[in-house]
Amino acid sequence: MTFLAPALLAALPLAALPVIIHLIHLYRRRQVKWAAMMFLLAAQRMNKGLSRLRQILILALRVLAVAAILFVMTRPLAGGWLGIMGGAPDTVMILLDRSASMEQQNTATGVSKRVAGLRNLAKAINDAVGTRSRLVLIDSALGKPQPIEKADALLDLPQTEATETEADIPALLQGALDYITTNKTGRTDVWLLSDLQRSDWDAASGRWETLRGAFATLQGVRFHLLCYPQPAQDDLGVSVDRVTRRETSDKAELLLDLRVTRHADHPQPIETPLRFAVDGTTTTIKAALKENQLVMQAYAIPIDKATKRGWGRVELPADAYPANNVFYFVFDDPPPLRSVIVSDDEAQSGPLKAALSAAADPARKYEATVFTSSHAAEIPWDDAALIVWQAPIPKADDVLARQLLAFAAAGRTLLFLPPDTPDNAEIFGLRWSGWEEGAGGKPQPVEWWRNDDDLLANTRDGAALPMGALEVSRRCGIAGEGVPLARVAGRGTLLTRSTAAPGGNVYFLGTLPGPGASSLARDGVVMFALLHRALNEGARTLGKAQQRFASASALGSDAARWQPVDKKGDAVASGSLPLRAGIVTSGDQIIALNRPPGEDQPETLSTTDLNGLFAGLDFRVLTDNLEDGRALTSEVWRTFLIAMALALVGEALLCMPPRREIAPREKKNGAPEELAPETADTAA
Amino acid sequence: MADAKRSFLEPAVLARLLPLPLHARHAMLGSVSGKHRSPVRGSSLEFAQYRKYVPGDDTRRLDWRTWGRSDRFYIKEFEADTNLRLCLLIDTSGSMAFGPAGATRFDYARKLAATLAYLAAKQGDAVGLWSLAKSAVEIPAKRGAAHLGIVLDQMAGIEPVGRATLLESLHDAAEKIRQRALVVILSDLFVPPAELKSAIQHLRFRKHDVVAFHLLDQNELDFDFDQPARFIDMEGGDPVLADPSLIARNYRRAVREYLAELDEVVRATGMDYHRVKMHERYDDVLVRFLLGRTPKRSAQ
Repeated sequence: MTFLAPALLAALPLAALPVIIHLIHLYRRRQVKWAAMMFLLAAQRMNKGLSRLRQILILALRVLAVAAILFVMTRPLAGGWLGIMGGAPDTVMILLDRSASMEQQNTATGVSKRVAGLRNLAKAINDAVGTRSRLVLIDSALGKPQPIEKADALLDLPQTEATETEADIPALLQGALDYITTNKTGRTDVWLLSDLQRSDWDAASGRWETLRGAFATLQGVRFHLLCYPQPAQDDLGVSVDRVTRRETSDKAELLLDLRVTRHADHPQPIETPLRFAVDGTTTTIKAALKENQLVMQAYAIPIDKATKRGWGRVELPADAYPANNVFYFVFDDPPPLRSVIVSDDEAQSGPLKAALSAAADPARKYEATVFTSSHAAEIPWDDAALIVWQAPIPKADDVLARQLLAFAAAGRTLLFLPPDTPDNAEIFGLRWSGWEEGAGGKPQPVEWWRNDDDLLANTRDGAALPMGALEVSRRCGIAGEGVPLARVAGRGTLLTRSTAAPGGNVYFLGTLPGPGASSLARDGVVMFALLHRALNEGARTLGKAQQRFASASALGSDAARWQPVDKKGDAVASGSLPLRAGIVTSGDQIIALNRPPGEDQPETLSTTDLNGLFAGLDFRVLTDNLEDGRALTSEVWRTFLIAMALALVGEALLCMPPRREIAPREKKNGAPEELAPETADTAA
Repeated sequence: MADAKRSFLEPAVLARLLPLPLHARHAMLGSVSGKHRSPVRGSSLEFAQYRKYVPGDDTRRLDWRTWGRSDRFYIKEFEADTNLRLCLLIDTSGSMAFGPAGATRFDYARKLAATLAYLAAKQGDAVGLWSLAKSAVEIPAKRGAAHLGIVLDQMAGIEPVGRATLLESLHDAAEKIRQRALVVILSDLFVPPAELKSAIQHLRFRKHDVVAFHLLDQNELDFDFDQPARFIDMEGGDPVLADPSLIARNYRRAVREYLAELDEVVRATGMDYHRVKMHERYDDVLVRFLLGRTPKRSAQ
């Protein structure tokens, strides 16, 4: 807490005046000779605890009142939360969560969590440190440290504008750590503004431990976590899972798989208007939600037969969280699903080719090409959605290795199968560690697999893949860091996903489909599902019409060539274009950008989680909500005046003498009433 | 009586009260004949009872009329009248000095006691004096004007000081007053009622007719103070700092509970209890007391 007139704090001992006056009074009380001491002592015994407490309370309230007056005279700054801020640090770092969920608004004022937080933060920094500290901003969308001149500019910067991206809070903190260590920022206050959305914080990530350890070694770094965890009440969100154009002889239509979700503790059936806009034509229907979710499969929207490609959006009425009220989609003739198998073993490539050539979706065209390892350079990198690599891993400096990295970075899928003679070459943080035979030559069953997500997830109707029936006779060990998706008995990893692949989907399968290695080809179902899921994942970035999630890299390295087609508001700078939801085009390519699905999840971190994540660090959690319009710092003399007034009122109430008892009535003969019985007897 | 030392005897009050006799409620064992009922049958004119003749009885006391009607011998008995012993037990502890100078509780008690002593002596009864304190004055009950003078002189010389020894003194008096007497206690009775009960029962066990004048100041009941004060114990105990605004309610509650318990003691012991507030005129109190003790037949 800071004071505009700190010299007056020297008068603070005057707060003890009531105690001193009380003591003086104590020794100056008049003396009364008293006979009925037994009643006096009994009354004091009855009154002892309460009386002492009351006396202490009265004294405390008087001291409080005097102290409050003195504080008012010193004109204290801050209070509220920022009372805890000490002197000005050398550097103030502002880490801003710009995820879509930060756009949740107070419906009365239209102020979002991001804006409210930035306003409070700007005022707090202005009041508390002014221009004495160096200010640095790192936002979650761009992740680049940006020095700023003054806190007032926070709301005007493009780096603090709204986005529909997701945030990676550990990466944000890593950025702050890198900046602090690189620039030797001295005493640093790190302000992190976030809504604590669990999906953004990735609390289970191992990165937190590393961050904690690194920050713990730094001296003078304090964290102030300014949180807005309040969820949006009765928020409705819409998302489109799949868009398919279907044409028959007499009509054409779009088939939408969409989902309307609601976050209500006690959901009541409601009807909400759902507005579809396709190529400028709008249709509104009423969607009835009985529970918290409504899934509409293959909802048909008629379109012109001549419209082969285009875009549209689905909208919900405005509510407290506008970012999830609209979802953009594009449609086009789907590109052929091309897959490439690199293998020198026909016994393995045969079943793979058969599975990948088979059409899972009759509306699409499937192509699978087999290349030997010596002809790998001929792979059509731009057209392929999936490469199944059953050949030695190329060395890191090899051209093929770089091509594979670029292929994965483009969002395509790579599935590595073990070669006959694995070596130590590593790619995407993973490598083969050598073939292992099952114990006693017996095939090993699959002991565990991840059935909630990824390649081996349950089917749409909830049925599990028959992984339990799979037999693995030979397994090649997988070394390196990855997310296991399936294990055989003995905890040996059968399928893993690389965590080092930048944006792509890179998998290592530790067995082969052919005879002698596993029953994948013989049983077929698991292999078919696995390969086609991998193919569909890789095909998301294929074609001229694509669905992507808003992020800094959503439009590639050259965002300037993209133009928005659905200009609903102010012109969006090209740097912000990939961060906002909408439709963008470049030449004949069209992309629908939407918020990532994690932004629809309302779960937030608890205080316990937060304490765990920052354990061992100097941090404070400041929780605010949108309904609270208080600034972080201000002159808080009013608070002290109110405290003083309350203290005085409390003191007056406590000092108020108890209601007097009614004096005994006098009887006609002059004797008080309480003597009446005896008097009556005597008179009789 | 004109003596300044005996200023507690007021002639006007004595003149007003002399026509009212002092009666004992229970039978007394006196040494001479007097106005009070005796447990021994005597030769007064007041019929007591019939009883069967037994050999050895004086045949002169046979009731021939009853023999004539019932053919059985009955002896006709009459009451015996005797004098009483009035024992005045005055509390002389420090708390009796409560009140303004010249109108303390002790002054009030002394006026009551002296007037009663005078009235008793005038009707031929014996008068004794006990002070309920450590430095005890003990004057056994005797008849005669000279003895009354001794009692009054002693009464004039007593000063209320020191701690209360009311209970011990009452037990002591119960042991020392051997014959039935009218025991009059004049005190503030600031002792636990349960303990007082045992002392009164001791007196009642010795067949004494017990009268208590409970002398209280209205302020002691009301605790009517508006400023915190240091209360000095008049019997020498530790002073107490108290804020009446905080404790007055509980003080009055303690007084109410004490008086209620005292009423229970009165009921249990059958003593003749008079709660006296010191703003009352003492002669009015004595009038009520004397009239209350007058037998009904006399009243008629």
